Amino acid sequence: MSAGIVDIATAKPGRTIGNDHFAPIGLTDEWIRRRSGIATRSWLPDETPLAEVAAEACAPVVTRMADPSSIGALVVVSTSVRQRVPGIAQKVAQLVGLGPSVLAFDMNAACCGFVYGLVTGLSLCDAGQARSVLVCSVEAMSRLVDRTDRQTACIFADGSAAVLLQDRAEFEGSRHTAGCDGSQEGLMRETDAGGIHLDGMQVYDRAVRRMSESAQYLFDHGPAPTVLVGHQANGRILEQVGSFNAHLGVPFVNRIENSGNTSSASIPLAFAGELDAGSLPAAGRLGAVAYGAGEAWGGVAVDYRLPAAPTP
Amino acid sequence: MSDLESRIADTMLAKLRERDPSLGPDDLARPVADLDLDSLDLVELHQQLERELQVKGDLKETAGFAFLEDFSTYFVKLASRG
Repeated sequence: MSAGIVDIATAKPGRTIGNDHFAPIGLTDEWIRRRSGIATRSWLPDETPLAEVAAEACAPVVTRMADPSSIGALVVVSTSVRQRVPGIAQKVAQLVGLGPSVLAFDMNAACCGFVYGLVTGLSLCDAGQARSVLVCSVEAMSRLVDRTDRQTACIFADGSAAVLLQDRAEFEGSRHTAGCDGSQEGLMRETDAGGIHLDGMQVYDRAVRRMSESAQYLFDHGPAPTVLVGHQANGRILEQVGSFNAHLGVPFVNRIENSGNTSSASIPLAFAGELDAGSLPAAGRLGAVAYGAGEAWGGVAVDYRLPAAPTP
Repeated sequence: MSDLESRIADTMLAKLRERDPSLGPDDLARPVADLDLDSLDLVELHQQLERELQVKGDLKETAGFAFLEDFSTYFVKLASRG
């Protein structure tokens, strides 16, 4: 018995922001597409509580379960939740009707958060600490960026996605690699004045290297993934990582054009998007790789078998 | 031009032609600022040269190069060190 992904759902309740939105700060559609590959992104209304958005992603998964009381843990991953006390995991648990015995907690590893949350959830399942674990990423990066900053305003976006983890006899064991380097904290950081400072060239270089190395690790250790989903950071980064990993011979997902960079939510959103589009089979092995502020990086390979027609 | 310099020139020209297929070898002598390359293109060029020559460069050095010829000089030196 090993843990894997048995369901997935998403929530993108915001309004669609086209590239023309950034004309007042001097950015053209052509420039944004060339620089990032992004055409549209979703931004949440400022007043929408992130716990409600996360609950919207989790609810379909819980509803589809025969026995929701088997959920023993809920990991809510976010780098953009503004309220620190209390965290939002407990509120999300309440909103989706989970019982009081659930281990519910927040996690933040910036854009690498989903990989870290997935590794944590899989560990809880594999250790027998929970029969089912929900891992939900929820982000409102539009609230974190300086919307007049030409470098970052057009890149970041909002959304949420949740996966359900359970042990199954048919699943091969998951594998992961992870790392961090606090000496690189200055590459991407929230500024005192508000907004995000980004050292674009260094981040680009390091993100490509780290995600490519993580992908290679997953192929060198354990059963090979059937699909790779990288953190949807920037279209140029995704193209480069895809190019560096072409020899691995599996699809490398790039759905940034109409999603933008949703930080920790980007991997499950992209994965769900490919499934909904019918581009991936309902069962396989996901290789998820990410790089983010901290700096933190990692990858996880995990089997998945989803309901025939998972709904967003 | 040595074989090494020739491989570097080919890699640089391929990068230039991603943006403008009409460019030729003479354009390699133009200043970076005059070419249709953005900062991410320069990172990509750096990484492609590393892969082509199987060496590890320092982006902090190459990021400031004003001419593509500077890339050639830098990577020839790196590759020659073995």
